Amino acid sequence: MTVLSGAREGAITGLRGLIARAMARDLCAFVVPGADVARARGLDVGAAGLHRTDTPRHANVLLVAGPVTPALVEAASVVWAQMPRPRAILALEAGDIAPLPAPDAAGVLAQDGLVAGLADLRRAFVGGAFAEQVADFEAPALTTQIEYTCPMHPEVISDEPGKCPKCGMVLVEREVSGAAQKGHEGHEGHEGHEGHEGHEGHEGHEGHEGHEGHEGHEGHEGHEGHEGHEGHEGHEKSPERPAQAENTGHSAHAVHAPEQPATYTCPMHPEVTSDRPGSCPKCGMDLVPRGQAGEHGDGGHSGHGGHGSHAGHGSHAGHGGHGDHGGHGGHEEHGGHGSAPDIPGIEPHFMSMVGLTEGKPVSPDGLVMEWIDAPFGPFFPGLPGGLGLTLTLDGDSVVRAAVSSHASGPPAPDLAAKDLPDRLAALSPLAPGALRELACRALESVSGIAPGPDAATARAAAVERERVASHLNWLADLARQTGLSWLERRAAALHQGLRAAGTDEIARRAPAIRALAGRVRRTPLLRDKLAGIGRIGTSGAEGIVGPVARATGLATDARADDPAYAELGFATLTQTSGDAWARLSQRLAEIGQSLDLIARAGAIALPEAPAPLPRDGHGMASLETPRGKATLHLILKDGSAGTVHLTTPFAALAALVEPMTRQMELAEALTAIASLDLDPWGVDA
Amino acid sequence: MSIVLVLLALAIGCYLVAVFEGWAVHGRFSLMRPAISALALLGREQILPRTPDRLFFETGPILLLVAGLLSVAVIPLAPGLIITDLAIGALFLNAALAYVLVALIMAGWGPNGAYAMVGGWRFLGQFIAYAMLIVMPITAVAMRAESLSTTQIVLSQAALWNVVYQPIGFVLFVIAALGVAWLPPIDLPTGGGDLAGGVEAEYTGARLAVWRLARLVIVVALSGATVTFYFGGWLGPWLPGWAWTALKTVAVAAAMLTLGRHLPRLREERYLAVSWKLGISLALANIFLVGVIALLVPI
Repeated sequence: MTVLSGAREGAITGLRGLIARAMARDLCAFVVPGADVARARGLDVGAAGLHRTDTPRHANVLLVAGPVTPALVEAASVVWAQMPRPRAILALEAGDIAPLPAPDAAGVLAQDGLVAGLADLRRAFVGGAFAEQVADFEAPALTTQIEYTCPMHPEVISDEPGKCPKCGMVLVEREVSGAAQKGHEGHEGHEGHEGHEGHEGHEGHEGHEGHEGHEGHEGHEGHEGHEGHEGHEGHEKSPERPAQAENTGHSAHAVHAPEQPATYTCPMHPEVTSDRPGSCPKCGMDLVPRGQAGEHGDGGHSGHGGHGSHAGHGSHAGHGGHGDHGGHGGHEEHGGHGSAPDIPGIEPHFMSMVGLTEGKPVSPDGLVMEWIDAPFGPFFPGLPGGLGLTLTLDGDSVVRAAVSSHASGPPAPDLAAKDLPDRLAALSPLAPGALRELACRALESVSGIAPGPDAATARAAAVERERVASHLNWLADLARQTGLSWLERRAAALHQGLRAAGTDEIARRAPAIRALAGRVRRTPLLRDKLAGIGRIGTSGAEGIVGPVARATGLATDARADDPAYAELGFATLTQTSGDAWARLSQRLAEIGQSLDLIARAGAIALPEAPAPLPRDGHGMASLETPRGKATLHLILKDGSAGTVHLTTPFAALAALVEPMTRQMELAEALTAIASLDLDPWGVDA
Repeated sequence: MSIVLVLLALAIGCYLVAVFEGWAVHGRFSLMRPAISALALLGREQILPRTPDRLFFETGPILLLVAGLLSVAVIPLAPGLIITDLAIGALFLNAALAYVLVALIMAGWGPNGAYAMVGGWRFLGQFIAYAMLIVMPITAVAMRAESLSTTQIVLSQAALWNVVYQPIGFVLFVIAALGVAWLPPIDLPTGGGDLAGGVEAEYTGARLAVWRLARLVIVVALSGATVTFYFGGWLGPWLPGWAWTALKTVAVAAAMLTLGRHLPRLREERYLAVSWKLGISLALANIFLVGVIALLVPI
């Protein structure tokens, strides 16, 4: 009997045999690179009897659905490390998945392959879920190493202990993950130990209590005051983490208040001042003297540079607690920093929390909390698979969002021109048909061979079929994110039936698809949930394309200039409000419109590369993909694709994420991002 | 004896609720599934996240289970078939359910993970929304019964069930109960697609099994409370009392598990706003109306 690659250690007993059989019947999969990609590649995970989980912690199968890029395999190895044993890998035409162990079952990338692979996996679980000896797995992205840094100058990093070249302080050690060092996205959560969730995974076996040693830095201890740098211990790595000093917070507000002759003030209300002790008229707290403030005030904070004794800095810690330096007005005196008396070898602001927090982002709401960088990708349920997203959270509101894609790299330089359509189609699992059509159009523009009108409408119908399928796929993801499980199942089923259907089949399924669109519009509270989320005005819509732009009322659609579509009677649809609800309405309307266009075209044909192709030439084509206009520039040299430049809607849409989600509640931010329907594949090709 | 019987009924109830939940989530009805899932879960490795708050991490699921069991203690299955017939039963139920909040925050804080922590704090916000709405409708129920004893409350509905007598209170109580048990569409702390499991995200193996069992106990307890307060408990013709309670409880639980899945997850601020601005006003109106009716009409 073969043993699972992720078997659990333990002698095989009767009870364990029973448990193994139960596991075989209760397979829960974490889908890589994502449910949307799996659906687009023809897999219906639920219909195969596999339960899809939201977190690797609850899964016992890692389903790798089709080829993935090396960056995604690395992220998948982190997911694998987080899954509890016994666990297994099912790979469907995934290619080389090292450093993941060899798959326990494999198959072709189709529903049949998935079902057959699951049957194999069930047998493997019954026989090999437990083993006397099991192999360890260490995700390379999670291996950590020690480096040394200066508590005051996070940019100073050294491999060995020593002193900071800027201030002469002793460097302190900290742990960094291998992935973080390589600057790999998606694992930002690792660096530093606040790390948390998601990818913090590890083989965190019950016994691995060695980690407890880090506990010292997880609370806020170490932040009060700066006497004693042990507090820093390097563990809170974050150069851009303004959180360090919040504990001392308000009690030190006074230190920063504007200079006035008054000498007593309320710890909570810096605007309350008095020249004698007493209690605050607003909150009743005892007023505190602000003598210390005066002392430092005159010299500006420049004086900090010269402090020899750390003891005095208890009060300075309060500057961090302030959080927003603009908020209280009166910080103009900081200007004094410029004239700091320079001490040789020591930077101005040395040891000053003003210096440490200056220029750091702070919460606009004035509350100071520890900020967390949390990864919401590349495999986050409810967001497109492969989309790298890191949100910096201040409580549960988003202060920063970083989006990245997992590009598949440029085509090989000696790519034969006639292979270009296949190569481009393989770039994006979410819109292969549109990219194939685009490549063929570009080749036609090089060769000057135009398809006949009938062929052109049939090819347009193929693009429209993909648009309907793509919008249904998006709808299933949105349903996942909003908790509408019936809609997820229904949209996924309709998507599977449609993605490769002929015109007759589509005509037969069209009523069900239209009915679904109607039912979505009538879903109670859905409008309430989406209205006003991620609103883009017409003025903010410049440069963006596709349904997102049309939802703001901007009639930009590459199909409007296409003679094939003119023949089919195409007219651009738009919405007005520009929010997530408008984007949903727009896509639902486009589903209906595309079904009409397919019915009028009457036939569906996939494009072929034109022949004969000239050996040299320059061509360009653009096409309205399901997500907006894509453009392809192509230069042929000696019969191969010399230069290929593809512009997809991703960059313009991804640029919306950061301004759109700023200060949004987490769930709403994720809804807003999902409503953009980002396709992270096939960028930069 | 009655303790054993009630616990047995509770176990069966939890199992049936798990069957219904599997049906609602996966769209497949299977009587075996919960048993298989539970067994599979027990065989899985228990992973301890890095640098957890060990005390909170371990206590969370157990405290949740204790809170659920305590609230079951005051729900009568039939006359005399109750773990403890406290004179302040309705109040005790509230007190026990208050620990649900503590357990979720512990489970959110304990694992030292972002998703879990956001989930835990989200539940704190959710608590602020449902807290008043679980208490105020019970006030009106107790006014009619002139007692806080759950047995007395059932007996007070002999002529007319409270669901007809005070429908506003019923609706408010059910919405609040969905919040307590974080059932869709108010499953903010776990939020499938938007928080990747939330407070549950870091639990595996037996700890997760305890957690899920505790959640089922709470759902059954809240369904039982709804039946006791609004559907006349064991009252009904032909069948023995315990059978009526069991039937009604399972029916209410099935409704609570399935209906909400046709709605999108609520926005937290919207839930809070509606609960306070509309819910509390309605709850006060309900208390007033019930008071007037109780004075004027002797039923």
